[in-house]
Amino acid sequence: MIPPMRTIIALLIVIAACASIPSHAAATATPRCQSPKTPGTHEVAAALDQLRLLLSDKQRADLNRPLSDATAIQWSNLPIGIVPRSGLRLGDLNDKQAAAARAVFVAALSPCGLTLLDQVRLADDYLVPFDQRPIGWGAGNYYLSVLGNSSAKAPWMLQIGGHHLAYNFTFNGHEAGATPLFAGSEPIRFEVRGTQVEPLEAQSKAMSRVATAISPQAKARLSGTFTDVVKGVVVTDVPGQMPTGGTDTGFPHSYPAGETDRGIPVRTLPPDQRELVRAAIASFAQLPDSAISTSLLAGYLAPAALDQTYVGFAGSPDLGAQGSYVRIDGPRVWIELIVQRAIAQPDQLHYHSLWRDKQSDYGGEVRR
Amino acid sequence: MRTLLALCLGLLAGAVYAHSAPSSTLRLEFRADAVQAQYWVPVSELAYARAADPAGEPFAAYLLRHLAVETPDGKAWRVIVDDVHEAEYLEHAFVVADIRLLPPAGVAPREFVLVDDAVTHEVRNHVVYVVARHGERADMLGALQYPAKRLAVAAR
Repeated sequence: MIPPMRTIIALLIVIAACASIPSHAAATATPRCQSPKTPGTHEVAAALDQLRLLLSDKQRADLNRPLSDATAIQWSNLPIGIVPRSGLRLGDLNDKQAAAARAVFVAALSPCGLTLLDQVRLADDYLVPFDQRPIGWGAGNYYLSVLGNSSAKAPWMLQIGGHHLAYNFTFNGHEAGATPLFAGSEPIRFEVRGTQVEPLEAQSKAMSRVATAISPQAKARLSGTFTDVVKGVVVTDVPGQMPTGGTDTGFPHSYPAGETDRGIPVRTLPPDQRELVRAAIASFAQLPDSAISTSLLAGYLAPAALDQTYVGFAGSPDLGAQGSYVRIDGPRVWIELIVQRAIAQPDQLHYHSLWRDKQSDYGGEVRR
Repeated sequence: MRTLLALCLGLLAGAVYAHSAPSSTLRLEFRADAVQAQYWVPVSELAYARAADPAGEPFAAYLLRHLAVETPDGKAWRVIVDDVHEAEYLEHAFVVADIRLLPPAGVAPREFVLVDDAVTHEVRNHVVYVVARHGERADMLGALQYPAKRLAVAAR
């Protein structure tokens, strides 16, 4: 299936924008993903107000839901045929509505975060011809939701997501809230009208550079086998019953403590390898707009925090084999990336990745 | 209802679990003098676990090395694997073990500590769900994921 022209144009624009990013951008912690503008909560809320003006009553009702522990965790990386989503379906918007929704994305995401959204949707369009069951692949099957009142000073959340993508941004929360953030890609790379697209290129390369650098040290290799991210959503499959879940019902998660089996302490790495870790963290933390994640990134990269951060890997550090896995595990930051067998084309591979904040997932607003 | 469920499961076949690493499920039926259990373990994830623990014994013996049941104060229950067979569920192959859990004399089979790492000793993201079966309904009692391998279980 050929992606809609609107999607193609948007992709070409973001590719052109990213072409101006120096090739070494992924290897530095300098926030090159961030645009010069510095929108904040009110810019996102204002963009949402503009969008609402263009929506029908039903669409407004779809867009807005209450913020609660139950609604906040209703995100998934799975296709909508497995985990149906609530919210405003992007594939149902007319041109004016789509432009207004895009203004929301521009306000809430960095240029790199916007590119990721576009490219993950393109990847899903690429999968449509393989969707025989059907599973719900397709660029239209992505959703925008507002949990709570975006005009109020009270906490509220913006959720943007669908298959292989979940942006969960919390505004006015106890903490800055950019997570949980799930990003995956199948295929890993593909062509659209002669242009190669690789949605997680920056993140996978940054994580692979870390794994490759630390791989000579035995302690860097994590024990065990990984077949998916460790702190992701899980479907509850009771044989003979309809499967349930597929959302973040495991929240809040527990995390490793101590030094055992967490990989290499970053404090023991030479400066060039510490820089690779910083770049890998930044490749995820720079996906939201800077107003959302600058304070988080600063916290993760503070020398004291970085000294208490561990990096480890399993499988192949070049991420060329199924089961390859890289993890960054800090006092707050938790980033993991796994290489899995592809679904549509099982002889190929695909990525899952997850960024969590041990302290401020959901802005610290969900207390289960 | 059973036909409708089968139809729905058929429609979901493959798509659902082809996309996620399959989890294990331990289904429990609390009876007057024992707990009848059925353990569904995905072949794909078990293969990683057995490769890391290559004793080569039959699955029943392997399971008995990795699964135990105790009273809350540490007295061992008897665990008997009555049958092992294979089954398919949503396009994933499972090893299915029928197990009897027998409490010590004088202990009611209503509350125990499950100790299990049959897959989780190796597969870091693997989750074992423990459910109580009531006819066609199943109530979630808890879950195990590495590094945890002990779960307090109580009939509801």
